[in-house]
Amino acid sequence: MVLPPRSISDAPPESRGIPRVLLAADAVVVDYPGVRALDRVSAEFRAGEIHAIVGENGAGKSTLMKVLSGSVRPTAGAVRVAGAARTFNAPSEAIRAGIAMVHQELNLVPTLDVAENVCLGRESVGAFGLRVDRRRQRARATELLAMLGSSLDPTRAAGDLSVAEAQFVEIAKCLASDAQVLIFDEPTAVLGEHEAERLLSLLGRLRDEGRAIVFISHHLDEVVAIADRVTVLRDGALVQSFARDHVAGHGAPLRDALGAAVDEARIANAMVGRELGSIYPPKGAAVSEELAIELVGFGAVGRSRGISLAVRPGEIVGVAGLVGSGRTETAEAMVGLRRREGVLRVGGREVSFPGAREALRAGVAYVSEDRKGRGLHVSLPSVANMTLPSLERHVRAGGLSVDGASERAVTARWIEAFSIRCARPDLPISSLSGGNQQKFALARWIEAAPRVLVIDEPTRGVDVGAKGEIYRIVADLAAKGLACIVISSELPELIGLAHRVVVMRNGRLAGELSREKLARRDCEERIVRIASGLPEQEEGAAA
Amino acid sequence: MSSHRPLATVQRMLEKWGVLVAFALLFIVSTAKQGTDFVSPENFRTMLNSNAAVGVLAVGMTLVIVSAGIDLSVGSIVVLAAALGTTAMNALVGAGWSEGSAVLLGAGCTVLAGLAAGAINGSLVVFGRIAPFIATLGGLAAYRSMALAIADAGEIRSQSPTLFAKLGRGGIPLAWESGSVDGQTVYTGLLNAGGKPLTLTYSIIIFFAVAIAAQWLLSMSRFGRHLIAVGANETAARYAGLAVGWVRFRAYALMGLLAGLAGLMQSSRMNSVSTSGLGVGNELDAIAAVVIGGTSLRGGFGRVWGTVVGVLILGMITNILTISNVSPYWQGAVKGAVIVLAVLVQRGSRE
Repeated sequence: MVLPPRSISDAPPESRGIPRVLLAADAVVVDYPGVRALDRVSAEFRAGEIHAIVGENGAGKSTLMKVLSGSVRPTAGAVRVAGAARTFNAPSEAIRAGIAMVHQELNLVPTLDVAENVCLGRESVGAFGLRVDRRRQRARATELLAMLGSSLDPTRAAGDLSVAEAQFVEIAKCLASDAQVLIFDEPTAVLGEHEAERLLSLLGRLRDEGRAIVFISHHLDEVVAIADRVTVLRDGALVQSFARDHVAGHGAPLRDALGAAVDEARIANAMVGRELGSIYPPKGAAVSEELAIELVGFGAVGRSRGISLAVRPGEIVGVAGLVGSGRTETAEAMVGLRRREGVLRVGGREVSFPGAREALRAGVAYVSEDRKGRGLHVSLPSVANMTLPSLERHVRAGGLSVDGASERAVTARWIEAFSIRCARPDLPISSLSGGNQQKFALARWIEAAPRVLVIDEPTRGVDVGAKGEIYRIVADLAAKGLACIVISSELPELIGLAHRVVVMRNGRLAGELSREKLARRDCEERIVRIASGLPEQEEGAAA
Repeated sequence: MSSHRPLATVQRMLEKWGVLVAFALLFIVSTAKQGTDFVSPENFRTMLNSNAAVGVLAVGMTLVIVSAGIDLSVGSIVVLAAALGTTAMNALVGAGWSEGSAVLLGAGCTVLAGLAAGAINGSLVVFGRIAPFIATLGGLAAYRSMALAIADAGEIRSQSPTLFAKLGRGGIPLAWESGSVDGQTVYTGLLNAGGKPLTLTYSIIIFFAVAIAAQWLLSMSRFGRHLIAVGANETAARYAGLAVGWVRFRAYALMGLLAGLAGLMQSSRMNSVSTSGLGVGNELDAIAAVVIGGTSLRGGFGRVWGTVVGVLILGMITNILTISNVSPYWQGAVKGAVIVLAVLVQRGSRE
């Protein structure tokens, strides 16, 4: 293997000057049907620099990465490698040019071992190319992994690795192809805190060896901590870039063009394009004392039990709890998607739903946490997704004919009402960003005019700007008399949005925080204690 | 992966319109090779007529496949329904019923028997939760075996003197008398090789009527929307409040009904039912036509018009091989190659 040039990092900082540009995007434009994903974006990726690309979902980060790594060809503009314009027809051509991408979803072959994965496509073969030289491959994998500071056994099957280990193998694979530019797509999103720290220090080391690191992350604290250069994208265009002073070294703060120091908030504002105030709307009051929905000793068979909860019209009740505490299952049982036990009353009447259809008819709707697998039909057009639960309103002649014009009109109305960015509702909904898909997932149920709306993880995979809009939508609906149950793993979201929060643990209700308690500073800690089964602190001690 | 290359554009066009391109190419080649043997109203009529029954099956199969299912039993439903219907008709004729009511009841019996078999398939798939491939594989064996048992693996000849055969071979004449010269009647319109009026058979009319209705059902009706939603993602459909089981059940029941109809079309054309021969291999021809037509076997997307073109392509291949005196044993190889080619051209279109 050809080792990366050491001269850059070995030289004293003052003699470095401006590092060499290894890879550059030059006024790159990418048009997808109905939408311009990238609009004349230029960026330079230099040897010995970590270059972070940040932006909201749908801002064009992934598209830029795909252009750089050769899986999408720009409509206009060019990719330059070491100054020369290059056209990549496939990722393999980019890899040959020294540009490798570490994908978010790791691409290892689970049935092969670590060494075989690392050397995949560049196997060491013995005489006549008839057999793979496993010993040499293993030695090579061990050597590469050691460079990364990992002592992973090269004979382990890739399928048995943890996510963090698999990521190291992916990186080793990139090094095996002698990549000079490494592109990381949200590498820390799948890692725990400790593993993330380890990965970030590895990125620093790869940079110091003179490679160019391209780094996408939603975690702005990481960006501020390790990036030497930050490019902010919004709506497919480059809105701002920040850089660290080369002479001052990696510890210096990021600065904008005028030399002012840049912090996380500044980057977040640039991403969203406006000052981020409180993203939570003010809390209203319950509009009626009658109960919209009431659970008595309710549960999803085998998953939860003994849950008693009542929600009034206009009230937003948050449900907290660890993953696996039975929150989703209980919600699914409420709308007939699972077998249930106990009593469920809607509008004072005891009900039993065989399926989501009957639940909706009685006015109870459930927005799934799993947008891709359950909440939406990603391969179908936005219009079809929008009207699926309420298709009855658009049929004529007893269902023989669906009124396309009325479907499109309703869809257009919600696009307007929720400011959904969707130029072509007739295209598959998968062409939209996560936030816009989520707005459709909400809108389709609200269109069906429920009295009770159960929303599971309302902002999963949704960017900051759209989050605020979704909170406002939920608060508005509640103000109009909808009873809302919001299940979420994001505590700030529950605390900011809900009138009260119930906490589930092991399939049971473990506690509740009233509106007063939610207003106190220690509420987040309280919720965590209840959810994980720690003793609650004394009222007096907490105050 | 979306990219913007001329080649990719061509491929996208082929994915979408490839079936029409193939049809046109085949048509041109056939015309060039056989000339008026191929391009004659009578040849087209014959081609359509002999493929109408499989066409009806293929149209039904399109709906089942859109729902992410499959029905391997259609060929066996064809023979069972035809055997039951013809037996019933013969019994009524023997019991002294008028020929008209016997044929009518027999025909109704055939179609209903198909519907019943389809309902059994649907029940096994929906309520029995058996994979469609397995459930209908069972049907493929069982329904044929019942038909064989009814006639001791022999033939059931129709006892209707004229009407039943008329149903199979009759139709609307496409030419009319326009006078007479030297005592011979002269016709205006489409004529056969013998100078007599060509008939547009009931089979052909039924095939096109069924296809148009099914295309409407798929793209314009609530049932069609539900089929697509269930086929694209059954879980998401359930979460959206669709009666998933009922949607799937209806797809199989409708398939059975159409298989009964196809059985009636074939038995009346032959004026008899060969329990060991009728409908054999029909399920494969039907599935092949669907695949050639560009419907995704993964479900959630389909087009009936593509299937109709697929049926015509298969029919044209058989026709041209027959006209060119190629051994019928080679037809399978050619068809197989066309199916594989169709999938190659269309793959990757709907990831």
